[in-house]
Amino acid sequence: MSRLQLSAILGLLSLAASAGVIAAAHAEPRPIALVIHGGAGVIEPSRMTPAKEASYRAGLEAALAAGYAVLERGGSSLDAVTAAVRTMEDDPQFNAGRGAVLNHDGDAQLDAAIMDGNGPHAGAVAAVRHIKNPIELARLVMEKSPHVLLVAEGAEDFALEHGVVLVPRSYFRIEARERELEEARAMPAPSAGLRVSAQESMGTVGAVALDRAGNLAAATSTGGLTNKLPGRVGDSPLIGAGTYADNASCAVSGTGQGEYFIRQVVAYDVCALVQYRHMTPAQAMHEVIHEKLARSGGTGGAIAIDPAGNIAMDFNTVGMFRAARDSRGRREVAMYGDAPQAK
Amino acid sequence: MYAIVIHGGAGAMPRATLSAEREQTYRAGLATSLDGGYAVLERGGSSLDAVAAAVRILEDDPVFNAGRGAALTRDGAAELDAAIMDGRQLRAGAVASVRHVKNPIDLARRVMEKSRHVLLVGAGAEEFALEEKFVLVPNHYFRTAERIEQLESEQRGQRVSDLVPPATHGTVGAVALDTHGHLAAATSTGGMTNKRPGRVGDSPIIGAGTYAKNGVCAVSATGHGEYFIRTVAAYHVCAAVEYRGLTLQQAVHEMLHQILRGLGGDGGLIAVDRDGRIVMDFSSEGMFRGARDSDGRREIAIY
Repeated sequence: MSRLQLSAILGLLSLAASAGVIAAAHAEPRPIALVIHGGAGVIEPSRMTPAKEASYRAGLEAALAAGYAVLERGGSSLDAVTAAVRTMEDDPQFNAGRGAVLNHDGDAQLDAAIMDGNGPHAGAVAAVRHIKNPIELARLVMEKSPHVLLVAEGAEDFALEHGVVLVPRSYFRIEARERELEEARAMPAPSAGLRVSAQESMGTVGAVALDRAGNLAAATSTGGLTNKLPGRVGDSPLIGAGTYADNASCAVSGTGQGEYFIRQVVAYDVCALVQYRHMTPAQAMHEVIHEKLARSGGTGGAIAIDPAGNIAMDFNTVGMFRAARDSRGRREVAMYGDAPQAK
Repeated sequence: MYAIVIHGGAGAMPRATLSAEREQTYRAGLATSLDGGYAVLERGGSSLDAVAAAVRILEDDPVFNAGRGAALTRDGAAELDAAIMDGRQLRAGAVASVRHVKNPIDLARRVMEKSRHVLLVGAGAEEFALEEKFVLVPNHYFRTAERIEQLESEQRGQRVSDLVPPATHGTVGAVALDTHGHLAAATSTGGMTNKRPGRVGDSPIIGAGTYAKNGVCAVSATGHGEYFIRTVAAYHVCAAVEYRGLTLQQAVHEMLHQILRGLGGDGGLIAVDRDGRIVMDFSSEGMFRGARDSDGRREIAIY
């Protein structure tokens, strides 16, 4: 046996020994989990075709797989939520990135936020119109600036300074969204502030994750409301409203009528109930989504995860595009209201 | 019982650098705002009207960092943020990154009352202002000689990279409780001197720099905005009162001196609860502040 082989064997033995120590210290490996949503709203079988449903499922599956693969190879929750959200931004059927809904001027005007529960650190952008993946710009804001929120041209200027390649506004526009905008515009507009269609799209995409190191992260990205006033910013890019993560409590991403989420500071409120009222994420979400939000007339849903890997996906709308996967073997993709709820 | 509390910003303000004359100017500005807001409450007006009146006076006063006399961005322009919240039904309105609106707090209120939105930013917010018959003003209306000088010295001085933390805070705000028991909060700011255009701090973010909820409390913040955003500072104070039974003073103290200090952020908070209890606290060297209530308390302080 050569010296090289011997040292290789010794190396393997010591690796095995240290692995044994780790296994003994943690009889069960620390859990990892990822939850995603692709928007809440009037999502019901009567409005779906089998082809459409399959397409949404495939989109959710792809985002879930992209994010979960990061966690599985020991990557961070921050990387996992970024990967999952980026995948949905690139998928034109979701209201974020390409395929986002169009504002009154016919532009996709995008918002996104990301939060690292370890810190906590956060980054967000709002009202950007030339950023292919707003979630990546939000992350750049978090990592390369002393700021949390940059908006509009200032945010795009920051992107250029950091080598982000801008895309033309036409990149985001797809035919289905142009049709929706036409329909919305055809509706009577009682006043400047009220010109948003009644059948508003509440799609937004988001992800929350727990990684092997025990860190939580949340990310949300959206095009907002069809026919919205240019400059309108919803809850998604607002830390505490549509996005929140803190290792001490939980990580949350919301989707729904943004204004209600802002006023009630929904994402943070879920975490405050988890931390201070010692509720599970499912209990806290129920309280916030079905009691507080519903009482105020707000509709929507959210996803949440705590440091133990407890998952919640809840909504007071007809349905919510959602999916979850964890290291305990859970794997599900759902969109209608009759699907079993997380406990 | 009714009460109003105002602030005109917190930060490093060594006594030596503030001349007696200058101090008088600040005190007079605070007094005008405080009494202007209090007069609304005294005649039975709403806390919403009171905080709007108090903040509007501070916006018009060029010594405070809001409205005229706001801090300038690195491009030399004033870029303003404001938010207002009505604790009655948790209604809120806010604007960010506006450059031609004389009183951003009035526009924030209009967003709350005439749109179905909470936050409008940039050119879109100004478009809404025009549709609501606001008269826009040129950006130079906001720029004062002092702020231009401050920007120039900052640009000559320590600015080396994007990661250098800001030196100057300053924001104005007010919280009030009216005779009907309604709470309201309002905040307005020009943000940090030499800030990147498009940077939005905590002031216009509901839950971060501004929050009001009837039966609980009303809060307005000033300080290192990014930290107040991450900690959801204003709503955190209300949640601590509501969920944990802390007194308002304990909740504010925990946020400023434990949570924010732990993260390396400083600033100040003013708050009033449903019983009219007033808290004005800060972790920086000083905070321009004033409080007045129907029990006869009236005070104005800086250090």
